[in-house]
Amino acid sequence: MSRLVCPFCGPRELEEFVFRKTLAEPAATPYEAVYERVNRLHDSLEHWQHLHGCRAWLRVRRDPSSHTVLGAVLLGSEGPP
Amino acid sequence: MTQSVRQGSRVGGETFEFSFDGRRLRAQQGDTAASALLANGVPLLGRSIKYRRGRGLLSYGPEEPNALLTVGRPPHVIPNVPAPLLALTPGMVLASQNRWPSLRFDLSAVLRIGGGFMGAGFYYKTFIWPSWRFYEGMIRRLAGLGPAPGACALPPPSVRNLECDVLIAGAGASGLAAAAAAARAGARVILCERDGVCGGELQFETATVGGESASAWVRATLAELGRRNVHILTSTAVVGGTGGLVVALEQQRGLPGADTLHRIRPQAFVVAMGAVERPLAFIDNDRPGVMLLGAAERLLAYYGVRAGRQAVLFGNHDRLYPAALRLAAGGVRVRAVVDTRPPDLARGSQSARRDLERHGVECMMGHAVVRALGRLDVRGAKILRLGPDAETRTIPCDALLMSGGWSPMVHAGLQEGGTPIYVPRLTAFIAGEQPGWRTLCGAAGGALELGKALADGHAAGAAAARAAGAAADPGRAPSGSGDGPPALSAYWRAPAPPAAEKRQFVDFQNDVTVADLRQSLAEGFTDIEHVKRYTTLGIGTDQGRLSAVLGAGIIAELTGHPLATIGHFRTRPPYQPATLKTLAGGRAGSLLQPVRRTPLHQWHEEHGGVTEATGLWMRPRHYAANGADAFAAGCAEAKRVREHGGVCDGSTLGKIEVTGSDAAEFLDRLYLTRASSIKVGRSKYMVNLREDGMVLDDGLVLRLAPDRYLATTSSGHGGHMLSHFEFYRDTEWCDRRVALTDVTEAWAVIVCAGPASRDALRGVLGGDWHEALGRLAHMEFAPGRWCGAPLRLLRASFSGELAFELHCPPRNALPLWETLIHAGMAPYGLEALDILRVEKGYLVGAELNGQTTPFDLGMGHLVKTAGNCVGGELLHRPAFHEPIRPKLVGVRAANGRAMFLAGAQLTAPEDRRRSCGHVTSSVYSPALGEWIGLALLAREHAREGGTILAQDPLRGGDTLLRITPTNHFDAAGGRMKA
Repeated sequence: MSRLVCPFCGPRELEEFVFRKTLAEPAATPYEAVYERVNRLHDSLEHWQHLHGCRAWLRVRRDPSSHTVLGAVLLGSEGPP
Repeated sequence: MTQSVRQGSRVGGETFEFSFDGRRLRAQQGDTAASALLANGVPLLGRSIKYRRGRGLLSYGPEEPNALLTVGRPPHVIPNVPAPLLALTPGMVLASQNRWPSLRFDLSAVLRIGGGFMGAGFYYKTFIWPSWRFYEGMIRRLAGLGPAPGACALPPPSVRNLECDVLIAGAGASGLAAAAAAARAGARVILCERDGVCGGELQFETATVGGESASAWVRATLAELGRRNVHILTSTAVVGGTGGLVVALEQQRGLPGADTLHRIRPQAFVVAMGAVERPLAFIDNDRPGVMLLGAAERLLAYYGVRAGRQAVLFGNHDRLYPAALRLAAGGVRVRAVVDTRPPDLARGSQSARRDLERHGVECMMGHAVVRALGRLDVRGAKILRLGPDAETRTIPCDALLMSGGWSPMVHAGLQEGGTPIYVPRLTAFIAGEQPGWRTLCGAAGGALELGKALADGHAAGAAAARAAGAAADPGRAPSGSGDGPPALSAYWRAPAPPAAEKRQFVDFQNDVTVADLRQSLAEGFTDIEHVKRYTTLGIGTDQGRLSAVLGAGIIAELTGHPLATIGHFRTRPPYQPATLKTLAGGRAGSLLQPVRRTPLHQWHEEHGGVTEATGLWMRPRHYAANGADAFAAGCAEAKRVREHGGVCDGSTLGKIEVTGSDAAEFLDRLYLTRASSIKVGRSKYMVNLREDGMVLDDGLVLRLAPDRYLATTSSGHGGHMLSHFEFYRDTEWCDRRVALTDVTEAWAVIVCAGPASRDALRGVLGGDWHEALGRLAHMEFAPGRWCGAPLRLLRASFSGELAFELHCPPRNALPLWETLIHAGMAPYGLEALDILRVEKGYLVGAELNGQTTPFDLGMGHLVKTAGNCVGGELLHRPAFHEPIRPKLVGVRAANGRAMFLAGAQLTAPEDRRRSCGHVTSSVYSPALGEWIGLALLAREHAREGGTILAQDPLRGGDTLLRITPTNHFDAAGGRMKA
């Protein structure tokens, strides 16, 4: 279901958020981080911004094959979404 | 045969007039276009798309393929409205489509234009010699159905956002049972029904529910749903959805365009949309008067319209017989019921058949209708006895009612993936593999008998409510019995000689026949998805509801493969025809995008400013008084700025305030050049890089206080740069003290530029500012007040003249601007701005196009002072210094006169076919009297004083250019530093 639970704002429609990019692997070099992005079918870790809301940057775990959002945490925080 | 005063569940009351193809006809209150036209004895309603065959009503629902009408008078017409959905109003003007000069006498049908040339895949094989253009004009005139409207008088559609626990699509038997169960369980329920009245087939089927009549049960259930606050939306069809959002369209009077778009977010979605009756394929099964049995039943029960005086029924299941009894009771003389099954497969209907025979109806078992006789209306049916003893008979009739079974509504289940599952009992498919929050029930899930449908619906509603967290007692499922089980036996097409297969229609809207299917298989397109695309089977507004299973069944017979392996092709939303404007939610025209205006916008409009959209902002390009067009006015305005002075509205500039004790370090990280070295009261030209080392944006950064900066960005980039800053603030700087605020709309910016600018400002700003005006050096600013409001005076120049930027609150912009105008500073727009900046070699988006590095743009000296900034890691790549990398240069015509335009490709003399760069900006410079420009040119060719060829084949000719420094005018900058 296309809803994302923003840590500040609660459950919101996905349209309020903007996808920015997928996360690089933890041990990526700067070149890999810019040009070689990870592209996973089922367990994608991504950066989204709550553009039409609190403008917080989030780290989101999502299943692109079904458009389901599995979890979201603030970008600066530790821990998986 | 005109039926004037009719009795039906939906009509009554006064009659009124409407017109069809210029004929004035009468209708009753509650009539739809289909019912009224048939009541007036008008069976011919349109012509088919390819072969222009005369067509009448086939089905009574949104899947109707033939009876598509144009409503209204040109230019305010609404084309392609399905007649069964269109509710008539007094004086409505209707026209048939796709015929010339008239419906009865269509020229192309008479001449049989195209018939032989338009088999399956014809567009790959025909109209090739001498060229497609030879045929294009004629084909475009003949193609399509209704005319495009010239204007639209309808109000914009409205959009409603709803959310609920359980959404139920369909208010037939199973949908009502599901709604009652879910509501009793305590869920918040929305019930959508595409018809204006709830009840589905219970409205004409002879059925009992829970001991009472079906109609009484429907009334009681609707009352209970009302008491339990179920939101019932009638005339609202669920048209599609994705990712948990379901979109439903509520149409006024069945007229697309005047809709309400409902965007619904349910926790659970129950699809109770029923099943659609299927036609059968026999020769000329598309004649007006041949229609689906259910359509005839609905016409009789709802509108009191008899489909014909004498009818022949044709089908392959037990429900033909109760239907025949109902039609006979309604006044239709049923001549014969033709059943393809042998008697031993039809035991369930034995008593019904005996009843019918007593009433003089001939029940022909083991027979099939092979041909409909008649041309523009049915005159008779030719019936063949199936089996070795193949004798034929003809029975005269004016209505041929066919029913080949029912295809469950797979649309909601298949549109977003899902696989079709074959159900042998129905010889049809249901949608399998639904996501957890969506269930099918009732006929949509394959339960055609009333008792099973009610139980199914009840269970689905209770389960959906539980899934949404409502677990109160849903009560017991109602029991019911209606028409018995159909006992279908698969039958798809009647026998026909090969030459006549091209008159056995499978898809009526796209004129796809058995011959087309056979040809597609012969040419190797055997997968049902390929057959669909190659023959255009099922790509019309019904999306296969009438044709998919019939087509699959015929393919199964032709190939010998079992139907289960053929499958059902993918269907597409919308389920019902809808206008694009409605699907866009009315976000069309001026409502498509938000418009951003500066505080001075109205002044620009009132004083001849020709505004245009740059991104979302409206900005004046030039002022009409200064010249006949943008070119002339731009030159005049630029000339005046250099000779005297002018004012420009710069409020669209993006502005971000960065505050905090770590702000300086933060900006050092984000910009190529150091922000921490800027002194308070000064500004600096700064460049941002993208993570890959390319230049992202540029702008001035002002230091307002030790811990407070104002960063400006290019107009229109404000939002993007803010997100960029916020990303870094939220990652590496999340524990530090940096705050970001978008102040783009908090400060209006007026640029006052030209030799006379300082004197004008002395006069306008008053004595308090004289000292600052005299003192300020280039790139310095001074805060202060003017007329009681804050004002910031920045000395900076984008024009190369002595210039000042005034930052003030938006409410003060207009007085300040007008005062400057009165002081002799005439306004100049974007055109002049562009001329002035190109003369100085300053950069805008054309040069900062995301593909240029600081080295390309001549900013190598800035890189030397760079620290560890974003983009710095990938900035130092050997590839960025290769000879083919572009370099920013200035260009002028070699002959000092010729014109050249931005976008022209630059080629070296030795190889005219390989581009080594392009002209990024070009303007006519009034100061220099010739065309000048900036270009990105490969380093290996970019020698100052050299020549390069600019090729512009699309807009005119080649120009030889001379390579010059980027700063064309006043290279020393004396005017700016005056």
